[in-house]
Amino acid sequence: MSMQMRTFILGMIGVPALLALVFLTVYGEQAGAIIARILPRVPMLLTGSADFSSLEGGFVANILISLWSMAIAIVTGAMLGTGLIARSAFVRLPSSLVMNLLRNSPWLVVLFAMLYLLPFEIEIFGFTVSLSPAVKAVIGLALPVTANIAEIFRGGVQAIPSGQWESASSLGYRRLQILRHVVIPQALPLMVPNLMTMYSMLFIGTSLVVVTGANDVLSVARTIIAVDGDAVATAIYIFVLLLFFLFCFPIAILTRRLEHRVGTSHP
Amino acid sequence: MNLDFSWLADPYYQYWLLRGLGTTILMSVLGLVLMMVIGIAGALIIHLRVPVLATWTTLFVEMFRNTPPLVQLFFLYFMLSEMGLTLTDPATGQRIPIFSGFTCAVLSLGLYNGALAIEIIRSGLLAVPLQTVEGARSLGYSRVQTFRYIELPIGLRLSMPAMTNNVVSLIKTSNQAALVAVADIMYTATQIMLENFRNLEVMIFVWVVYVALSSLAVVAMRYIDRLIRIPGYGAVA
Repeated sequence: MSMQMRTFILGMIGVPALLALVFLTVYGEQAGAIIARILPRVPMLLTGSADFSSLEGGFVANILISLWSMAIAIVTGAMLGTGLIARSAFVRLPSSLVMNLLRNSPWLVVLFAMLYLLPFEIEIFGFTVSLSPAVKAVIGLALPVTANIAEIFRGGVQAIPSGQWESASSLGYRRLQILRHVVIPQALPLMVPNLMTMYSMLFIGTSLVVVTGANDVLSVARTIIAVDGDAVATAIYIFVLLLFFLFCFPIAILTRRLEHRVGTSHP
Repeated sequence: MNLDFSWLADPYYQYWLLRGLGTTILMSVLGLVLMMVIGIAGALIIHLRVPVLATWTTLFVEMFRNTPPLVQLFFLYFMLSEMGLTLTDPATGQRIPIFSGFTCAVLSLGLYNGALAIEIIRSGLLAVPLQTVEGARSLGYSRVQTFRYIELPIGLRLSMPAMTNNVVSLIKTSNQAALVAVADIMYTATQIMLENFRNLEVMIFVWVVYVALSSLAVVAMRYIDRLIRIPGYGAVA
């Protein structure tokens, strides 16, 4: 535990210092002037508006997109995972095929494919719902994550001793009931660290959303660079790196602490 | 929905796609080599607790693991051109940057997946039975010799399953190079889409190519795993 605390403090101080060092090395004497130029752009990068007036773009958009994808992927992933451990081969084999296909495809390609596969707007019960780039990004990211979560789900369920299944079925539970009332409650603590790692990866993956045209932090960064010139590019990207690091690193440390407590360490 | 794949018959597109595929494979292979070099060197430094370097390596690993490879790529691309390292072409007198998009992509792939590889190899090293290490020590191997002849050979074999995932991830990440205009298969695909507007078909084609490449990598890694397995040691898969 103290070991993780030490890594946490080391990382939270060390990595920003390292990035600052890179910044100073690249810009030399111009460092002050560059900071003065990009400081007014910080609200833009964080929220997509110049004065924090709305929370619809920039880094906030990355967080929102990742949360929505994760919410969707947990539901679909649990369903696909149940399919993976089904007894009937008619359910198991297609599930396994879908899982492997999605897990082996690059996120960027899936995002591009969703961009063109999904219609511009759909009609449900007479309501016209327009699919904005952000919605397409959420769906595109949720697909590969679904496959990974299904795999985590299967691994967690299979880590529970088979005696639990047998004793529950001798008490008259049906298969899905055993899963819901006996196995999942025990498997959940084992799955949480893996799910958190997955969320971290998903959040890192939201940087790819830039190709769909959603107003995420990288799109904002590229717009700013287009306006302010290539001279600020390195500084802006250092700032974006720092943002991602400050969000993901605490999650990573927390995950390691949980793993330590649950007693499963990384393979 | 009717899909039209007739564009695939165009020899010009075939040539483009093959060249793109070649670039993707070359980039992945170079990235893999860099990844393994960084992974082994970093694992050595952390495992032997080299005083100052170990802290730096930990910082390096945490920084690259917790930030998006795409941002790292953009960052490297702009930073290296900002630092203005250029060569003068003797034939034309033109100044060309040393670090092209391709070099940056290889560097960023090697650094990001290398940082992941350090962790993977390190946990492989930790899984080497303590008795084996102690046995080597009692036979008079020095600390570095133990690492070279006992821990690394066994540790690398133990880390093969996780390394397979990392290799697949490297191949899948390599398509981000298209966003800094490296002419890999992803970039070629976007060019073709601009010409024939068959967006969905082209993307499905690229999807299939990448799934095939990753599956090929998995099969190759399994083969290597079987090839280097120490008879009678470790789990039999």
